[in-house]
Amino acid sequence: MSVMADDRAAFAALKAGLDVRAAGLIVAVSPQAFSSGFAGLDRALGGGFPRGTLATLEGAASSGRTAILAGALAQATSRGLAALVDDGSVYPPDLERAGVQLERTLIVAAQTPLEIARCADILLRSRAFAVVAMPATPLRATVWSRLCGLAQKSGTILFVLGLHASTELAYFASTRVRCAIDRVLWSGKSGVLCELAGYELNAHVLKHRRAAPGATARLHIVDERIGHAAALRPRSDVSPMRSAAGHPVGRTGSACG
Amino acid sequence: MLADKPDRGRIIEVDPAAHELGARIGHTVLQARAAAGGVHVLVHDAARSSAVWSDMLDALDSVSPLVDDSGEGTAYLDMRGIGGDASQWIARALQALQGFDLPVRAVVGPNKFVARALTYASDGRIDPLPIEVLELEPRAVERLHLLGVRTLEELARLPHGPFVRRFGKAAAAWHDRARGVDPTPFRPRAHELQIDAAAYGEGSAEQEEQVLFALRVLADRVCNDLARAGKAAGMVRLTFECDNGDVREFDSGFAQATGDARTILDVLRAKLESVTFSSPVTGLRMQVMRLEECGALATLFGQNQADPQALAVALARLEAATGSTPHRAHTRPAPRLEGRFAYDAFTVAQRCQAEVAQRCHPEVSKGVPQLRLLTVREIDVTIRGNAPVSVHEKRVIDCAGPWRVDDGWFDTPTVRDEYDVLLEDGMLCRIYRQGKHWYLRGAYD
Repeated sequence: MSVMADDRAAFAALKAGLDVRAAGLIVAVSPQAFSSGFAGLDRALGGGFPRGTLATLEGAASSGRTAILAGALAQATSRGLAALVDDGSVYPPDLERAGVQLERTLIVAAQTPLEIARCADILLRSRAFAVVAMPATPLRATVWSRLCGLAQKSGTILFVLGLHASTELAYFASTRVRCAIDRVLWSGKSGVLCELAGYELNAHVLKHRRAAPGATARLHIVDERIGHAAALRPRSDVSPMRSAAGHPVGRTGSACG
Repeated sequence: MLADKPDRGRIIEVDPAAHELGARIGHTVLQARAAAGGVHVLVHDAARSSAVWSDMLDALDSVSPLVDDSGEGTAYLDMRGIGGDASQWIARALQALQGFDLPVRAVVGPNKFVARALTYASDGRIDPLPIEVLELEPRAVERLHLLGVRTLEELARLPHGPFVRRFGKAAAAWHDRARGVDPTPFRPRAHELQIDAAAYGEGSAEQEEQVLFALRVLADRVCNDLARAGKAAGMVRLTFECDNGDVREFDSGFAQATGDARTILDVLRAKLESVTFSSPVTGLRMQVMRLEECGALATLFGQNQADPQALAVALARLEAATGSTPHRAHTRPAPRLEGRFAYDAFTVAQRCQAEVAQRCHPEVSKGVPQLRLLTVREIDVTIRGNAPVSVHEKRVIDCAGPWRVDDGWFDTPTVRDEYDVLLEDGMLCRIYRQGKHWYLRGAYD
């Protein structure tokens, strides 16, 4: 009888563990996966962004791509170095508030597509950075192929941020995530006392070579200095939810970040 | 007369003739010229003097291996164990400095003070010299004069104990020196180690491969010398001499000092990637400009550590590719957005390495709305009751602000009102009004 009781207890413990895991409280991150810093997005990606690949973060100017990138950079700089190819749009104070350690983040200024590609090439070849981020630029397929190969050799994740991926880039990208802000959260009524507290965004996995695509994660990007997400509400009835460049947004509600 | 600066300088040295005419040390050039009209004024060139003095010390190395540099104009040589007598030593020293065409006085003494004092003595004795050769403070000299002590002999005759009790601790050294005793240690100057290698051939290199081959040979030679000296290179200077007489120099610094030929070669190749020469290369010289102690940081369990050598190569390549130094950002408080961050050069800092040991693992990132700076451009904004209602004919759905930014009152005053606006197309941006004009500053992303 005691043996049977032990078996039942063990089974119950195992089941409870599986239930907890299934409930999404634990995210199993494989060693090959790089956590994005957002549990919901990690689940949608099947553990995180695969190392040594090219990943795109696509969306319009206000879509939350940079917030996701900041999360990944924070993860990368907590363990090693990260690099950003900057086209002049980087605002370091916000990156720092997102947890990015600026002293471990190399920022290299580049303007032309050729310069940007060359910088990314050098950064990937050094094998010194866990994450390299660059803006999406019109480049030939051979260049993307080369960058993709270098990322694979170095085990670095190359993030490419842009409105949408070109055909060549879409082909070589292992992971494509489309972002769109769903609701904007404000800390108060209109006027001087009001501040932008954050937003809720949908991150839709358009493509994933190592997991099923189509999942969508809903992420809460809220500045803790200003307020907690629970206490914030969008002020207006109009939701600026949009799908950049007319791409359909996939199934929603599969995971929450 | 010697002046420190050409126009508004002061006289720092006068010769006896000028002194006779009334010029004094400390006069302005104008005063000195007024006092001694016909006397020529020379301007002291500190850099050139220092270079000449350094050459003179190098020349004295041929007389004795131990040379104590006591500042420009005075050097002591340790002649113990060197063959010859005093007169031969002096002759050798004078011969070594003959080429400089400068007045030189050389004497032999048992210690540094006596040797220096003897340069003022005509009869080879220090006793009759005035106490000023002790280089005392004017007040101390005055007190000694009041006591009737004017020469070293008179000072040496005083009893040591009572003299020290009366004049204080420092007086012990004065009294000792007056008696010809000087315990000041002899400090030989350090010989600067130079490591370089050069290649000059009869022909010239027109192909890139030829230059790279020569570079590889030189890097190997330099690294062998570095290994023998137990040093590493912090910076390397590469000098190219071209057929048309052009000489071009390239300095390459390393994030971490290295003695590895491969690394040096990689960095130099990266540095030379965008360089073209107008004529064939006839000579090549590689010189180590900054020698550092050898040894690399050893980290156990540092799987995530970046390889400093690889990083150094990447930094050099990036610099060559973009023409600017890769940088890292740091933040600072400032009223304006643009002033809240600054950049400095990215280096492999110790801090960066050390912090990895106490790294943190943020399980969940702190999501923060990220502002992306856009090129500032003027925009059309319609306002109602001081709040924007449309931007470029797009309706403003939500708006926060204004926040007044008042900056630069001491230099270029900037007063502007900033707003965060959400437009009907979903664009969430930071705009501001400065005067009567509205500008777009960035978009939240």
